[in-house]
Amino acid sequence: MFWTLVRIALRNLLAHKLKSFIVGGILVFGTMLVLLGAALLGSIEASMAESITGSVSGHLQIASSKGKDPLVLFPGPLDGNEVGVIEDFPKVRAALEAMPEVQAVLPQGFDYAMIFAANLIDRKLARMRKLHGAGDLEAYRPVRDHVRRIVELLDRDIQRIRRVIDLDKDDGGRRGAQDVHQAAQPEFWADFEGHFSERMEFLENKVAQMAIGEDILFIRYMGTDVERFRQAFGRYELVRGDEIPAGQRGIMLNTLYHEEMLKQKTARRLDKMKDKIAEGARFESDDELREWRRMNIAQYKDVSWQLDNAAADRVVAKLRPLLGAADVPEAVSPTDAADPIRPIDAMLRVFLNMDDATFAERYDFFYATIAPELQLYRVDVGDTLTIRGMSQGGYMSSVNVKVYGTFRFEGLDKSALGGMVNLMDIVSYRDLYGYVTAEQKAEIAALEKRSGVQEIAAENAEDALFGEDADLAADASATGFDEFADVDMSKGARRWSEKLGDVVYTQAQIDGGVVRNAAVVLRDRNQLEAAKAAIERVAERDGLAIKVMDWKQAAGMLGNFVSVIYAVLLVAILGVFGVALLIINNSMVLSTIERTREIGTMRAIGAARRFVLWMFLVESMVLGVVFGAVGVGLGAGIVGWLGHVGIPAPNDTMVFLFGGPRMYPWLSPMHVGFALGLVVIVTIVSTIYPALLATRVTPLEAMQDKDA
Amino acid sequence: MQGTGRGSGEPIVRLQDVIKSYELGSVEVQALRGVSLDIEPGEFTVIAGPSGSGKTTLLNLIGCVDVATRGTVRVAGKDTGALAERELTELRLHALGFIFQSFNLVSVLDAFQNVEFPLLLQGGLSKTDRKRRVDELLDRVGLAQYGHHRPNELSGGQRQRVAIARALVTNPRIVLADEPTANLDSATGHAIIDLMKELNTTQGTTFIFSTHDPKVMNQAGRLVELVDGRIASVRQTGVDTGAPADPHAAASAAV
Repeated sequence: MFWTLVRIALRNLLAHKLKSFIVGGILVFGTMLVLLGAALLGSIEASMAESITGSVSGHLQIASSKGKDPLVLFPGPLDGNEVGVIEDFPKVRAALEAMPEVQAVLPQGFDYAMIFAANLIDRKLARMRKLHGAGDLEAYRPVRDHVRRIVELLDRDIQRIRRVIDLDKDDGGRRGAQDVHQAAQPEFWADFEGHFSERMEFLENKVAQMAIGEDILFIRYMGTDVERFRQAFGRYELVRGDEIPAGQRGIMLNTLYHEEMLKQKTARRLDKMKDKIAEGARFESDDELREWRRMNIAQYKDVSWQLDNAAADRVVAKLRPLLGAADVPEAVSPTDAADPIRPIDAMLRVFLNMDDATFAERYDFFYATIAPELQLYRVDVGDTLTIRGMSQGGYMSSVNVKVYGTFRFEGLDKSALGGMVNLMDIVSYRDLYGYVTAEQKAEIAALEKRSGVQEIAAENAEDALFGEDADLAADASATGFDEFADVDMSKGARRWSEKLGDVVYTQAQIDGGVVRNAAVVLRDRNQLEAAKAAIERVAERDGLAIKVMDWKQAAGMLGNFVSVIYAVLLVAILGVFGVALLIINNSMVLSTIERTREIGTMRAIGAARRFVLWMFLVESMVLGVVFGAVGVGLGAGIVGWLGHVGIPAPNDTMVFLFGGPRMYPWLSPMHVGFALGLVVIVTIVSTIYPALLATRVTPLEAMQDKDA
Repeated sequence: MQGTGRGSGEPIVRLQDVIKSYELGSVEVQALRGVSLDIEPGEFTVIAGPSGSGKTTLLNLIGCVDVATRGTVRVAGKDTGALAERELTELRLHALGFIFQSFNLVSVLDAFQNVEFPLLLQGGLSKTDRKRRVDELLDRVGLAQYGHHRPNELSGGQRQRVAIARALVTNPRIVLADEPTANLDSATGHAIIDLMKELNTTQGTTFIFSTHDPKVMNQAGRLVELVDGRIASVRQTGVDTGAPADPHAAASAAV
């Protein structure tokens, strides 16, 4: 009987080919859309989960259950920061890591801070002092001339800016501009060595700061147990330098941050141009390439002012044969104040004006000849950074940390979301954030006790303050401030910090301090929900006062991203299937009317109503299955093809979502089942009304002769 | 159907004081105004009368596709007025065969499948049994070679013969035919009537059909004439149980 129904259905569909194909076409399109959408979104969700869980968040995040604001790892402007503090992290870690589901629990803290890196003048002045002190005047003079030239350029820039912006409204601005102008005068440099200390101090204290735009940078970092972090997060990969020695303070810079924010700009743009050209972009057709070239030419000074005269001469000597016949203006004396363009300036502008033919050669030349004369990175591996942050209490705090190396998260090195988070030891994080560990608290208390500070009741305040002052003073000098005893205070706090850099902290100290949130890395990421529930049970049992979030919740807006695309896709699918539903319904109603006589005949010769109902339902099921299968086939073909060639990420955010520069979507049986199921359900639903109409046809309809 | 075997003596169709009226807008139209009629098993009955005399209505009541407004209609031993829709459908499927004026084949099925259709609805027969039965019927109506032809590939006479095969395939007690020759030329019509008569003779199937064609009426074993919803006359022609009136009717397969 079923096959009769299928046969009738097929025959009916074939008998109305045009109609079947229109309806079928819509169903094919709809199914394809469902399948493609489900496959792409499923892949994005999985890739994104990979990206986030493998680089920043782990699979689950835990935070204090008493926090006022929800924990958000990628905060938007409206996300609050008061997430509270996990009460007893060592206990939490022990309890969770004892669970079979959990691989590791890592303390974390995210924050922004400022970096102060010495600018070019600072560094050159330091070198001047050193050479002058050593009496190496031969080496000293070119550096001095370079500084003079930088100051002159700075003065010209400031004078030009003053014509546009009214700096004089601000007192400091006006004074600074006057100072630079004064230092740019020939009188300032006449007999410079005769007034060495006085002039150097003027340059160091008044002039250097005017080049300020150069030297403040923002850095986003994650304070964590770095050593365990790199073991638990599979995507972590050392690129240059060394890992931070176990238990010590230090920072690891993310490659993208290092390249994007700290690299010399001309070099960075050349790198980007190279990547883009490698992808097939050409100057005449690519706006971005032309824009980068324009900026390189316009900002040639980024290169030239790092070159002192000797370096400039070396570069010019090699540039001349490279540029050959190119129209390079002849040398102009650097002392010609009216138009102080050195040959290097003119030649750099010609050099940087690259095109498709010359790019590769000049790129190599840049790195072989010019780059060695430059400081390529403002902060590089081995440097010590001063990082200044706003502590929780609202005051500025700063720490000095050594840059041990650079790292990347595999596949995410071009994504701003994955590539801008730098790693810092959690002890320094706590210092920056203004947290004091329980141990430090105890230490302070002990110090206070030893130095005789005690609660003084009001009635004996006078005694306490004046009666025993001799004893107090004696106490203070006797117990001393041990920590500072061997610090040479005259060298300043910097030395002290460097010394801190050698301290090796124990695991108990790393875990024992304040932890705002912690990442939980699971052994099996597919068991996320189960693991979350299990952790919640353990937290409840042990009274850990934590709440557990999956990475999607913790990612905040970013986690919602997938939900948003899902919603958009859902609307599109609803639209297509809504139309399909209407059209199928309509055509089936027409078909019922057309086939009234046939239905009546079937009823007359003994077909039950149920048979008629099934006849229509089977017909639409056949329609749904056949065209759904075609749609699935086409969709699977497209997904398969995309899975083969990959979808390139259109921008850096997408790199993160795609889990790499290209996404290779895949199809799961669930997607196919979902698409096919949906299309069949839609066709059946759209047939219910016409099928019910059909069951109301009476056998009498067969008897009425159409000619009568 | 049970308990109403052919030898029971009860007429296979019994109508008593049947009145059928329709609402046509606000007007009530009486199609049948009190009809009583008994039809014995194996009879070859023709219901004749002009258009609007109530022939079709009478056939619809006997065919269980309509119910009487008043009076009783007993078909194969059952009071159709007391049956539910589902039971009426069962009765049509197992006890009745229908032949329509416009053939009413299922256009998307071929001749074989059309004939097979009631068997499929009944269920119970195996595929091979079904095929044997359908082939037998197609052979009997002279369409053995046409099983795979779709209705639109067959002539009017051929289609009506497919319809006859379909009506008979379930071995029904009664076959109803509403003006089966109206859409056929007279020669074909004759051949169709002859075929039905032959089947009536060989199978003992009760045939009841309506017509207003005088030439067809002459073929009837028993002629019931309807005028204005009443029976005007009933004539026995005496040919209903004997040999076919035309000994050559069996050759009508050539139509």
